Amino acid sequence: MSQAVLKSAAAADERLARRSPLRRLAGRPEFGALLGAAVLFAFFSVVADAFLRASSFSTVLYAASTFGIMAVSVALLMIGGEFDLSAGVMVTTGALVAALVSYQLTLNVWVGVVISLVVTLGLGLLNGLLYVRTGLPSFIVTLGTFLMLAGANLGVTKLVTGNVASDSIRDMDGFDAARAVFAADLDVGGVRVNVTVLWWLLFVAVATWILLRTRTGNWIFACGGAPGSARAVGVPVARVKVGLFMGVAFTAWFSGMHLLFAYSSVQSGEGVGNEFYYIICAVIGGCLLTGGYGSAIGAAIGAFIFGMTSKGIVYAEWNPDWFKFFLGAMLLLATVVNLVVRRRAEPSR
Amino acid sequence: MQDMRDPLLVMRGIVKQFPGVRALDGVDLEVRAGEVHCLLGQNGAGKSTLIKTLAGAHQPDEGTITFAGQEVRLTGPIAAIKLGISTIYQELDLVDGLSVADNIFLGHEKAAFGFTRTGDTNRAAAELLGRLGHGEIAPTTEVGTLPPAGKQVVSMARALSHDTRLIVMDEPSAALAHDEVDNLFRIVRELTAAGVAVVYISHRLEEIREIGDRITVLKDGRTVAVGLPARETPTREIISLMTGRDMENVFPERPAPGSHDGRPEVLRVEGLTVPGVVTDVSFSVREGEIVGLAGLVGSGRSEILEAVYGARGCSGRIELNGAPVRGISSAVRLGIGLAPEERKAQALLMDQSVAGNITLSGLGLYSRLGWLDRKRELADAKAQIDELDLRPADPSRPIRTLSGGNQQKAVLARWLVNRRKLLLLDEPTRGVDVGARADLYAVIRRLADEGIGVLLVSSELPEVLGLADRVLVIREGRAVHQSDARDLDEHRVLDMIMEGSAL
Repeated sequence: MSQAVLKSAAAADERLARRSPLRRLAGRPEFGALLGAAVLFAFFSVVADAFLRASSFSTVLYAASTFGIMAVSVALLMIGGEFDLSAGVMVTTGALVAALVSYQLTLNVWVGVVISLVVTLGLGLLNGLLYVRTGLPSFIVTLGTFLMLAGANLGVTKLVTGNVASDSIRDMDGFDAARAVFAADLDVGGVRVNVTVLWWLLFVAVATWILLRTRTGNWIFACGGAPGSARAVGVPVARVKVGLFMGVAFTAWFSGMHLLFAYSSVQSGEGVGNEFYYIICAVIGGCLLTGGYGSAIGAAIGAFIFGMTSKGIVYAEWNPDWFKFFLGAMLLLATVVNLVVRRRAEPSR
Repeated sequence: MQDMRDPLLVMRGIVKQFPGVRALDGVDLEVRAGEVHCLLGQNGAGKSTLIKTLAGAHQPDEGTITFAGQEVRLTGPIAAIKLGISTIYQELDLVDGLSVADNIFLGHEKAAFGFTRTGDTNRAAAELLGRLGHGEIAPTTEVGTLPPAGKQVVSMARALSHDTRLIVMDEPSAALAHDEVDNLFRIVRELTAAGVAVVYISHRLEEIREIGDRITVLKDGRTVAVGLPARETPTREIISLMTGRDMENVFPERPAPGSHDGRPEVLRVEGLTVPGVVTDVSFSVREGEIVGLAGLVGSGRSEILEAVYGARGCSGRIELNGAPVRGISSAVRLGIGLAPEERKAQALLMDQSVAGNITLSGLGLYSRLGWLDRKRELADAKAQIDELDLRPADPSRPIRTLSGGNQQKAVLARWLVNRRKLLLLDEPTRGVDVGARADLYAVIRRLADEGIGVLLVSSELPEVLGLADRVLVIREGRAVHQSDARDLDEHRVLDMIMEGSAL
């Protein structure tokens, strides 16, 4: 009996201690990524003269946004405890559906855009339902749909067009309007900025709002962190997870539309491997593979790091063949920094 | 308001069948408003199934549930919560990544048009925490950063955040230190004073004496006693109800004093010193003898065990059958086996089968030219399962699904398959319920009877005194007394342990 008293005396008041604001900032999931982004920015500013130019920065942001839009929804899904390996090829599927439907049926491109939305959301729903109904790990379920979509992208495109790419829809009705929405170049103070950057920021803002300020956000954390507990208090776990898969499908549709209207035709083999870049962005931004922890802002910073690394190498005039090497190193470094920072910030964890 | 004497909850003839198991076989439970009703039973008696039924997680196959005078069907967790039944599970199942307030209101968020009303949520959480006497926990704190006691309070606040009339607490004290248990009891008393009923599950009889009003005992899925007075019912009666056995028979019979005298020493420790913790301890363990180390946590008794196992730097001589022990690998080679205190983390592969766990350290016995003789391995495992009455007697079952007592049996069976000369047992009955302990004691005695030397460390004095042949009393790193266990009683040993300490 008496030994227990001794042991607990020290621990009892630990929770009374207030943490300093700096500590609290350091405890946020995205702090490590923020630190990494700052270091990387300083690094490229020094080694690459061209890096600090406004136009270069816009290019970096563009690269970051194309991956960042997907990284946002992938991060939400990961916080909810799941993976989606089909995210990369689903972008291509979305673009192909819109392109093929519009061109083959000679319709206004907006019809293709809407049908594509329905199809991709349906694919997200399928991923979600397969996961919920079978109870298989999402890794396996989406690995299956990933391969099937990759095959269908190529097979259907070849069947319909006799080619590995869709036909250009540049001259079709509604193309210019759609391009203005999904792929316009805007002039911001003399610098050309792609509209995807704005969309990206909007998506990040919405996702952050959902995570931190709505009950759905709480549910997402609960589904990833303690699904059993969530179920016990009445959180609709299955619905939340299906919703998250559909969220990924929605951004895949959006990214597909950007791809299509930026280039007017789509290569059916594109997108394979990108799913890992999205996951990397989310992980660099502080998401845990185990779920229940992470942030949308972190994923955005992760995407920014991704963009800086991919373009910084070009501006520094290094051999771009090494890009993946640097990306891999960044991933390891960022996760280690995240780990160390979090341990420092919260000695009791 | 209902009359306090009327039962708030009545469960009658509850039956719950799982594939192959009849987990509940006609259970009755009756709980009054404002009482602490203790639910007792060995692991596997059906306690968890019963409370899951009450929480709406399981639907009973037969039987009726009446709550506040109305017959109800608890179709799901939400239905139970809406009626005012909250459950605090043993595993503190909070979401680490969410704040305290968000955890408390998870599932019934204070929200308008889909948006969380953070201010309201935090205020309401602060009020609940204040009511529980823990106003110092900030509602915005991330739960993952709280110590176990803090998490316990948050779980409790979550249960109270609903309009609760009945709270089920499954081993609420398991994660708590002693002074924190006092606070838990204070909260329980305030709840019952306000008319809330508490169903309290614990393995610690002394807690039930302190906080409980009435006791219901379950055995093998049936209610064997209803509404016993918690304070007056003798311990022996409770234990015999739970186990169907008398308490006198808990400890196996010991060989006559001195009967080990002529036998060779398996372990000889001379002048063992672990800097700062253990000073000049000498003792020996003979073949077939159980030697117990009694002392407080921090007295150095665990360190002695670790030193013998070669896991701790020390000076002095440690010899097994005359050969010096140098480090863990030589300890294992010479024939020392360890059943560590952290059974789940350090001794078992939780997802592996029972058989796999039993034969784990003896795989060398079954391998020939790199191939494992699976048939012989399985046969040996089966023999041990029968021998030790391990339940359920299914060698292919994942060990995670077994109760603590049966898991510990598997650990001991391992050392029966791969024969050891000396066994080190660190808290062998930690987390094992009272009834299953008797089985474990019998197994340990049998190991000794087969000629194995046993060195035992336990925080529970009755266990050391009842099981060991010889006892060393350790205080502040020194062996202050050594004698036959039968010459000692609890009072004397406590005196020796406490002497000179500030407690």
